[in-house]
Amino acid sequence: MIEILSETPLATVQDLGRFGLLNQGVGTSGAMDPLALAAGNLLLGNEADAAAIEVQVFPFAVRFHEPCAFAVTGADCAARLQDQPVLPWWAGQAAAGDSLTLRRPEGGTWRGSRAYVCVAGGFAVPPVLGSRSTQLRGAFGGHEGRALRQGDRLAAGAPGTGNRPTGFGLVPPAFAMPLQREGCTAVRVLPAAEYERFTKAAHEALWSAEWKITPHSDRYGYRLAGPSLRPTAPIELRSHGIVPGVIQIPHGGQPIVQMRDAQPSGGYPKIGTVIEADLWRLGQAPIGSRIRFVACTWDEAVAAFEETERWAARVRRLAALHAERGT
Amino acid sequence: MPIAEAEQIAAWLAGTDIEFLELRSADGCLTLRRQGNDVAISREGAPAPQEAAREITVTAPSVGVFLHRHPLRDAPLVRPGDTVPAGQILGLLCIGPLLLPVAAPRAGTVARMWAAHEEVVGFGSPLVELLATEGTGDHGH
Amino acid sequence: MTLGEASTSLLGSTALLFEAPGETDLPTQQRIWVLAAEAETWPEVREAVPGINNLMIAFRRPPAKLDDILERLRSCWATVAPMPLHGRVIELPVTYGGPDGPHLPDVVAHTRLSIDDIVAIHSEPLYPVYALGSHPGYCYLGGMDPRIATPRRKVPVLSIPGGSVSIGGSQTGVSASAGPSGWNTIGRTSACFFDPVRDPPALLRPGDAIRFRVSEVIR
Repeated sequence: MIEILSETPLATVQDLGRFGLLNQGVGTSGAMDPLALAAGNLLLGNEADAAAIEVQVFPFAVRFHEPCAFAVTGADCAARLQDQPVLPWWAGQAAAGDSLTLRRPEGGTWRGSRAYVCVAGGFAVPPVLGSRSTQLRGAFGGHEGRALRQGDRLAAGAPGTGNRPTGFGLVPPAFAMPLQREGCTAVRVLPAAEYERFTKAAHEALWSAEWKITPHSDRYGYRLAGPSLRPTAPIELRSHGIVPGVIQIPHGGQPIVQMRDAQPSGGYPKIGTVIEADLWRLGQAPIGSRIRFVACTWDEAVAAFEETERWAARVRRLAALHAERGT
Repeated sequence: MPIAEAEQIAAWLAGTDIEFLELRSADGCLTLRRQGNDVAISREGAPAPQEAAREITVTAPSVGVFLHRHPLRDAPLVRPGDTVPAGQILGLLCIGPLLLPVAAPRAGTVARMWAAHEEVVGFGSPLVELLATEGTGDHGH
Repeated sequence: MTLGEASTSLLGSTALLFEAPGETDLPTQQRIWVLAAEAETWPEVREAVPGINNLMIAFRRPPAKLDDILERLRSCWATVAPMPLHGRVIELPVTYGGPDGPHLPDVVAHTRLSIDDIVAIHSEPLYPVYALGSHPGYCYLGGMDPRIATPRRKVPVLSIPGGSVSIGGSQTGVSASAGPSGWNTIGRTSACFFDPVRDPPALLRPGDAIRFRVSEVIR
């Protein structure tokens, strides 16, 4: 069992998401940084979509009540197992009674905002409608359909010791697959239905401005601050399906990017959509930081998707090879 | 190691981007160093008996890129002069997406870093020189 | 991209959106349901999600080329006939006004109709379920009488309870679980619209119809 020691507003159990129920009104949920969640799981020999804890408020601490292999990925939060430092994107072995603490991410060469605590076998919360992700609005999935609280106890799927080597890590994808423009995290965007109905100035601003991530940004959506984006004429739309990554422009002209807990339908004008392969970059961008949008083509979006797939496949293969050698 | 085998390794090395390969065995040390498209082979006599030596050369367990610091960190994991316990991570060996620890086999003081940060190293390449603390046994992890 | 009069657009590399032309109407929606059922049989489609006279096609993975699926959408839309309503009607008893309908006075103020008139007009029609969305089990309904249309609230309410019956613009709906809303809440019903252990989990599906039955009016 793993016990939550800290007051942890907004920490939730997540996997890679719940799919196929948008037409029942159920959004996908899932990790804001799916690469980090998958990487932590692959380090431990889990399936890539095993359930982990997504931490977004720090400090965060858990205690292992039994020996268990774990991995910490995502933002560098100076993790410690008891008094021993644990490197970022690293797998370790906890003994019974050990506590793992994560501090607020700061400094370093890449600042993320969300960390993932993975355990051997994944967190054994019951799957609901095909996923272990927490569906906050529907109050199901994850741990009792809600954010974690101090004192909660979660079971690991494969606790124990020596099942697989630990003590090694991964190069974070921010370095394996960097994407920056003029010192800012960049995300690639495909124009959406109403793109052409915005002014030329709006188009120029979309691609050239730095967009600040405001404090009103969470798992539901990121509200950005920057130049106002205006349509050439008022736009009224009928409700339609939307997905994480959609950049909506409400009447005020300031973009809202839908994120993993977004509702599956909407009606605000859409100027573009952040491609699936880059959503993790946004999921890790801290409040107060700035991002840039980069126009891309369908072929580039497909290539980016395949690049992240290849990266995950390589991580899986090499982690398994390393585990076999038992070093 | 028979020289024919060394030449075979040299031929293999010529097809890689590995600059330097050091092979240690009981009867000596073989160094293969790439010079342009050729690979120079040099052989040294048997090293001094290790029992008495306090100097420990931590070598690469595999081909890879040696890192002094974690990619997410500004600061190196250790600096020359640092005192480290056995098992402390001195550097990282990057193999594709994997990061493997290069750990101190014994407690000691970091004497020097043989390989530069981000240097491509071969199996057995010297990475870190460690001056073992007197009287400490081997209790590496 | 234009398919005859319908249009398609990208939702990143995750999905594409097919939008039928013209004014919102039920026959078009009945064709959207058939298109959705057809598209869900295509191998690259993870899910087809009807909206209001539109359809989102979510991919299992982004297909290398889009031409093929766009062509199938085009030819399929050209031939689909409206799906007949399957005639399932769910009757929902509603308590109008009072603490569970705090914005009924705002609808009175906007429409200049009496509470009794508003309740009578709201509970009169059979509302077809056009689509599900927004949150688990929520239904987009058609068929509200325009006389009781009331603009969305300037300041959204942070949380309205599940079962809240509300009016937003020219639409009416019932929230399936507690959450924020910009609509005017006029009453409440106690039905359970979504249960994750039920199959299917949502009470209603497109093509069903809702009738609101007046259980009580609190003035």
